[in-house]
Amino acid sequence: MKRRDFIKKTALATGAITVPYILPTGRLFAQTGSQKAEHVVFVLFAGGVRHQESILQRYLAESQDLDIEGNIMYNMLTGDAPELKVVYGTTPAGQQPGIQPISRILQTPLDQQGTLFPEVRFSKAGTGHFVGLSTGVSGHYGVTQGLRQRPINPTIFEYLRRFGGAKATDVWFVGNGIGNSTPLLNHSEHPDFGYKYAANFFAPNITFGSKGVEFLKGFKVYHPDEELVPIREMQAFLNNSFNLAGKEIPHLYNTDEEKADIKDFIRATFERLENNQVSFPPVTDNGDLSTIGYTTEILRWFKPKLTVVNMSSVDSCHGSYTSYLKSLHRGDHAVGHLWNFIQTQVPEMKDNTIMIIMPEHGRNYEPNPITDENDWFAFDHDSDPNSRRIFTQMVGPNVPANLRVGSEANPVGDAADTVLTIADILGIKQDVLATGLVDFNAMSLFDRI
Amino acid sequence: MNMPTFKRLIPVLLVGLAMGSCTEEKYTYGVNDVIVQPTDLSGKKSKTPEQYLNILYANLYQRAMSANQLVKATDVITSIGDKQVAYETVISKFMNDPDIILPSEESMRNDPESFVKETYQRFFVRVPTEAEKTWMINFINSNPDVTPEHVYYAFAIANEYYFY
Repeated sequence: MKRRDFIKKTALATGAITVPYILPTGRLFAQTGSQKAEHVVFVLFAGGVRHQESILQRYLAESQDLDIEGNIMYNMLTGDAPELKVVYGTTPAGQQPGIQPISRILQTPLDQQGTLFPEVRFSKAGTGHFVGLSTGVSGHYGVTQGLRQRPINPTIFEYLRRFGGAKATDVWFVGNGIGNSTPLLNHSEHPDFGYKYAANFFAPNITFGSKGVEFLKGFKVYHPDEELVPIREMQAFLNNSFNLAGKEIPHLYNTDEEKADIKDFIRATFERLENNQVSFPPVTDNGDLSTIGYTTEILRWFKPKLTVVNMSSVDSCHGSYTSYLKSLHRGDHAVGHLWNFIQTQVPEMKDNTIMIIMPEHGRNYEPNPITDENDWFAFDHDSDPNSRRIFTQMVGPNVPANLRVGSEANPVGDAADTVLTIADILGIKQDVLATGLVDFNAMSLFDRI
Repeated sequence: MNMPTFKRLIPVLLVGLAMGSCTEEKYTYGVNDVIVQPTDLSGKKSKTPEQYLNILYANLYQRAMSANQLVKATDVITSIGDKQVAYETVISKFMNDPDIILPSEESMRNDPESFVKETYQRFFVRVPTEAEKTWMINFINSNPDVTPEHVYYAFAIANEYYFY
């Protein structure tokens, strides 16, 4: 019997005779009565998205002074693709760059399957990536939040582990890389929460990329009884001798079984890579798409209660509008693949997962002076009103289908809402509200419908 | 005694003192060679990933890690949230490398006391206490399947190794 199977069967057997379990909050069992779904996948999409090219489907019409409109996000939004000046697709041999749009994955766009809040606001703080991402996972605008600093207020991961009784491997944050302090988003520095309640984290393009191949692939697997038992005994003795409070290698309170499971996952993913079995999207030609591919492997293996995945390629818009369009199109492709994978490849999560998609912030209305190969202007994000204009999309059980809530004249929703929305879905909203640590204007999006 | 009388006596007193000091026995003090290093366990600072990896590599390979390797290995550690998992996985990858330099099992079994002392010195940069030395020797002697690699692995993943 493989060790993973053994652990699973042991866990099942243990579950049959389980005893009441007191959560760190002092409550017996996790709150489960009001769950809308057992799993949540939150996509941080995808590095600062301009409203004009996403929700408004203006393509080149409200950026480059060209009268060409169309929808390049047809897995997420309903609308016809542009017919002219197509540069966002792939490049068949000998043809114009980007001329071939990527085929849609979802026959029914997500806005028809679920609810779209087309006019959400990033209402406070500067529209920077880390502040935006931190707001997304903590529900609190870190007005004084600095780079290289963990979120000041607790993250949804910590709320879920503390109030929902989730294990460490039930909550995952998947980063597009290790830059911009992204690895710091898996837990806050709040004294009542912190690393004891953190999410597990991978920046899979590094973990499983060339660097991971050099320093992880083929790592030695010690026999669990004959080798690991004496190793752990020696380690315990050495740690006991050291025994200084708080002086330990940083960790996330994964149990020994969870640590072994993560290592098994790392080894299995390298094997699947070698055998071309990783479920990458049909087109995988940038970092966001490979990140989503590895995310599907995490979903398949761990079936997490909460997965937050960050994409960022759209941020190439600082220097190249053409690259921005390509990345936006690929972000949509990635989301379509992710949702399709959940519904077709993970039976435990099918029809039991709510996916939420939200940009961490928007982009400016006016361009910067940089032009690209098509002489198109680039766009930054420096807190102008347009960069505060974002959207949120939800799809899954208990999410009303084909519903739009809010308009430009009547914006509904805030970037800080996502934490309470996830808490609402997973049955811990009241606990999170009671902490008083989310933005005072934040609400569950279900309460805004 | 008036002042002129006292002045006349000063030379006599000085001569007396000088003669007395000449007869005093001379002593020469020396010190024995002692290895000066801490035996307490109060590590204060945690190593950065770069420090940890650099020192680990030097301990296992007995040569320095290249700057390029160090950057890449640090990125890998950063890419995994649970650092215990990250370090254990990287260490076990090193352990699979035929280039690492480990003491032979024979040397460990023949002289476990020296092996234990050297291992503490190598990883923790200190001498073990008597209790630590005794426990480790007993453990090695009572576990015939334990290898130097297992001991090195246990030391490398111990909390003390992470602090300096």
